Amino acid sequence: YTFEFHTATALPVYMQQTSQPAATVAAVKTTGNTWQTFKKPGTMQGKTQKPKAPPKPQQLHYCDVCKISCAGPQTYREHLEGQKHKKKEAAAKAGPTPSRHGASLRCELCDVTCTGADAYAAHIRGAKHQKVVKLHQKLGKPIPSTDPVVVGGTTKTSTTTAGATVGAKTTTSGAAATTGTLTAADGKKDDLKDDLLDLKEKDVEPVGQEYIEEIKNEEGKVISFNCKLCECRFNDPNAKEMHMKGRRHRLQYKKKVNPELVVEVKPSLRQRKVQEEKLRRQQPGLHQLREEMWRRREEERLLEEEERWYWEERRRYEEECEYLDWCRRYPRGPPGPPPMMPPGMPRPPFMPGMPPMMPMRRPDSSDDRHVLAKHAEIYPKEEELGAIQKIVSNTEKALKMVSDYLAEVDAPKEQQVKPKAKKEKEDDSKGEDDKKDGEKKEDGPPRMLKGVMRVGILAKGLLLRGDTNVQLVVLCGDKPTRTLLDRVADNLPKQLAVVAMEDKYDIQRVVEEAALVVQNIGEQRISVNVTLTSPIMREQLLHDGDSQVIAAKDPPDVLDKQKCLDALAALRHAKWFQARANGLQSCVMVIRILRDLCQRVPTWGPLNSWAMELMCEKVIASAGQHLSPGDALRRVFEALASGLLLPGSPGLLDPCEKDPIDAASPLSAQEREDITASAQHALRLIAFRQIHKVLGMDPIPPPKFQRGGRFTRKRRRDNSTGEGNDSEGGDGKKDKKEDGEDSKMDMDKETK
Amino acid sequence: MVMTRGRGRGMRGGMMRPMGPGPHFGPKMKQFVPRLPFDMVLCESAFPRVKPAPDESAFTQALLKRNADLSPTPAEQAAVLNLVTKIQAVMDNLIVDPGNFDACQIEEVRQVGSYKKGTMMTGHNVADIVVILKTLPTKEAVEALGKKVCDDLRSQEPQEVLVLTMLPNDRGFEISNSEATVRVLVTTIHQNLRKLDPELHLDQKILQSHLAAIRHSRWFEENAHHSTIKVLIRLLRDLRGRFEGFEPLSPWMLDLLAHYAILNNPSRQALPINSAFRRCLQLLAAGLFLPGSADTLSAGISDPCEGGNIRVHTAMTLEQQDLVCLTAQTLLRVLSHGGYKQILGLEGNSSIASEMSVWDGVVVSALEKAYEKPPERPPQDDDTDNMDADDDPMETTDN
Repeated sequence: YTFEFHTATALPVYMQQTSQPAATVAAVKTTGNTWQTFKKPGTMQGKTQKPKAPPKPQQLHYCDVCKISCAGPQTYREHLEGQKHKKKEAAAKAGPTPSRHGASLRCELCDVTCTGADAYAAHIRGAKHQKVVKLHQKLGKPIPSTDPVVVGGTTKTSTTTAGATVGAKTTTSGAAATTGTLTAADGKKDDLKDDLLDLKEKDVEPVGQEYIEEIKNEEGKVISFNCKLCECRFNDPNAKEMHMKGRRHRLQYKKKVNPELVVEVKPSLRQRKVQEEKLRRQQPGLHQLREEMWRRREEERLLEEEERWYWEERRRYEEECEYLDWCRRYPRGPPGPPPMMPPGMPRPPFMPGMPPMMPMRRPDSSDDRHVLAKHAEIYPKEEELGAIQKIVSNTEKALKMVSDYLAEVDAPKEQQVKPKAKKEKEDDSKGEDDKKDGEKKEDGPPRMLKGVMRVGILAKGLLLRGDTNVQLVVLCGDKPTRTLLDRVADNLPKQLAVVAMEDKYDIQRVVEEAALVVQNIGEQRISVNVTLTSPIMREQLLHDGDSQVIAAKDPPDVLDKQKCLDALAALRHAKWFQARANGLQSCVMVIRILRDLCQRVPTWGPLNSWAMELMCEKVIASAGQHLSPGDALRRVFEALASGLLLPGSPGLLDPCEKDPIDAASPLSAQEREDITASAQHALRLIAFRQIHKVLGMDPIPPPKFQRGGRFTRKRRRDNSTGEGNDSEGGDGKKDKKEDGEDSKMDMDKETK
Repeated sequence: MVMTRGRGRGMRGGMMRPMGPGPHFGPKMKQFVPRLPFDMVLCESAFPRVKPAPDESAFTQALLKRNADLSPTPAEQAAVLNLVTKIQAVMDNLIVDPGNFDACQIEEVRQVGSYKKGTMMTGHNVADIVVILKTLPTKEAVEALGKKVCDDLRSQEPQEVLVLTMLPNDRGFEISNSEATVRVLVTTIHQNLRKLDPELHLDQKILQSHLAAIRHSRWFEENAHHSTIKVLIRLLRDLRGRFEGFEPLSPWMLDLLAHYAILNNPSRQALPINSAFRRCLQLLAAGLFLPGSADTLSAGISDPCEGGNIRVHTAMTLEQQDLVCLTAQTLLRVLSHGGYKQILGLEGNSSIASEMSVWDGVVVSALEKAYEKPPERPPQDDDTDNMDADDDPMETTDN
């Protein structure tokens, strides 16, 4: 560890050799061995230097520190005040710190240290050096030889004394690493210097050749180079070479191209040791490679594991879904043909609605809000429901009385007393009567009219605003005949007059429909179709063997067979609906919405109500989870869009028929096609937030102040009370209440 | 059932990746959005058949014939294999012994894409190779690598000198001879992705897509090696090529769709090709690749190779999602009316997807777009309004 104390003019230049750290002790004999000794001369010399400069006798104003001449005293003063000079001066004062690098070449004339022969050569050739040479010639100062004296690590130059005169000689000595950093702001020269610093020409391979752009002139001759990594230019090919070996460039290369390039770190001893440790490890190479590989393997393993885990998780999830789906479907089982309707079947609720809403996990979506709003719009008003309720219950009561009347008339004399007694009872409570009716069958001959049932939209609770046509079915003990229809039609007005004295009803026979129609006379015309049918009509079909025998017994004026069968099917549909659709969340609401769609849009007209109800139930139930009204509606459109009605699909197996029948069989191929296309478009409209177009309504702006707050929930509750009030439990009460309302309305009418 | 909706959005992206070594990390990383669109295959039991399924042997035959037509010939396969093997060898050499080649260092070379998956199409003799660089992928390094590989190939087989070409591009470079092309897709190791400089290096998105390609081919190898899937993928890619409306579907989406259509069924047995092909159209028509209802992310197909429950289809714009869906919807109707020959391209042309056609007296009309660009709204002053999912203009933010 030698260091030399060398001064040019007033400027002390420290140079030292650090490549052999072991040699520290050797340095002591030359000069000081502590940092203090460095500083002292530095500061002292700096102070003495300043006053020295101005009184130069020459016309030229020459700055020794910066090695430049100035045009006049003014500019010279300005120069001395200037940043550049100050920096140089400061650098000179601070003095170079020890550098660890090997031999470097120094141009004494310009006070430039070059770390390599190439760099030195470039400097000597350079414009700057030439300028200084000229200047010195002018000034008559001695110009040292341009040949650098090559001095190895321990070799000393001849000029080691302090206070040597300007440009004594070019000396080679240890490079001062910090010179570069301290003067870094000094522009181009320093760039070059920096590049040249810290250079071990022999072992450094130039890197990043491909990022050096060659700039050519018009003749195609290379005039300069541009390093894209460092954004700098050189004119000299040698400088380019230098640059590519330089530390700065290598740092950029490491940063921008190869992060693994090893760039030597300048600073402290400790860091250097770490670096060397690294290098040592790298030299065997294998060790590091193995480590790297291991690390990567580990990384890959983790990724793979994660992936496997993901699929495992997903599979489990799907199985869970399937299981739930299974549980949901299985206990209910396929409905199959329902048992024959006993005459005393419990009366279906008037307007069965949805069960109380499940607590929702999330606020209503925009789709939900639209569906709910539309539903509220199509749901009948209280008055409408009241009016329908009134005519239906009156008709039912009257039919009951007709049944009693017929039973009384037909009964053999000796049994006449019993029915009479029963009749009194019946007036008290209808529900009880239905049960007893069944029990008492054995006693006497079967009644002609066994019971009356609600079917269709009335039984299913699918009434919409504006609906004025509802259906009842009367089950007969035997095959209904024209004669029976006439007898009922004849007696019904009398009984109606008894039941509802203040109302006027019009009764018409529609023999070809096996029905009679009861219509009220008033501003709001509501008609009730009463179809006569008998379970025997179907039994005959179900037992093929006996059919001929029974057919032979058919009375001559038996009513239209198909109509009677349709009425029976309607009964089964109503029962199916109550068992399956009523309990399914969102299902009834979606069916009402679709009913509205079928009435509103001609394309959907041909889709019969039963097929539509069946489809909705299957589609919504098969989701295997609770669906909000919006999601449920969307799922129905998804099912249609994916070709549920198209040829080749499984079809809608009618659960209420013995033979496999497609409930949508009345649809023609073209109608199926058109409905599918329409559903496909509707689905996309829903997906792209235009559900209002599908529902035929105005878009609802999003709620302003709350996110799924009170407002929507309140509306939801309103709706659910609107349709949920007829839940099975509260059946009788409700009827009474509605009756009460009826009478109120009647009073209103009377006052008018 | 537990519904997990709309969560998991915040934790999207690769950030989670390195830290998920096992199940004990809990399900926070990937969540499933359960509401899938209606899928007949999944709820078959709710729809017992009214009459036995129609005979589809002719359709199946047509599918198989089309697949045979689309598969590369042995000669083509050999040509691609040949070039791939050579390039792979050259690259392997470069890994082991870079010599004086220092423009970049190769970490790893992987075959990906349709060549690797075995879903190549005839007339498209292109294989993909991903090169992972240990160094940063500057354009110059990529070009230098291309040159180097090309030079090495030339020196190996001088007779090919005349036909071998190297074309650098945004993704890497292509090396082709007279019979085949190998696309070399360049990327870099994960750690380097953060150090990229758009001025100097290849685009980060592209680099990431190349890394994804490796994951995709690995996933494919493990999960989708079933032959029916490969056949279906080929048929779907052919469909995509012939019907403009399917263009937005990426090969990866088609891979996942085919895998889903064939294996995602209650029995876990691969569906026959005719059912699976129809199911693809049915799924698309039912909106598998459409946005979900307002505050639900649509189910779609979750990307198995990305964290955070990314839905593959969200890489498409909404307009494209609409287009893909309506094309599938029209084709599904054509298919159900017996138009499989036209769909497979054995007869007719692609106008069936966009124009009215008549099948056995049934008029099948094309569909109109449903997507409308949301009206330009001035920025709302209240943030809560925008927070509300209902109010967002349709979200494509997932990709």
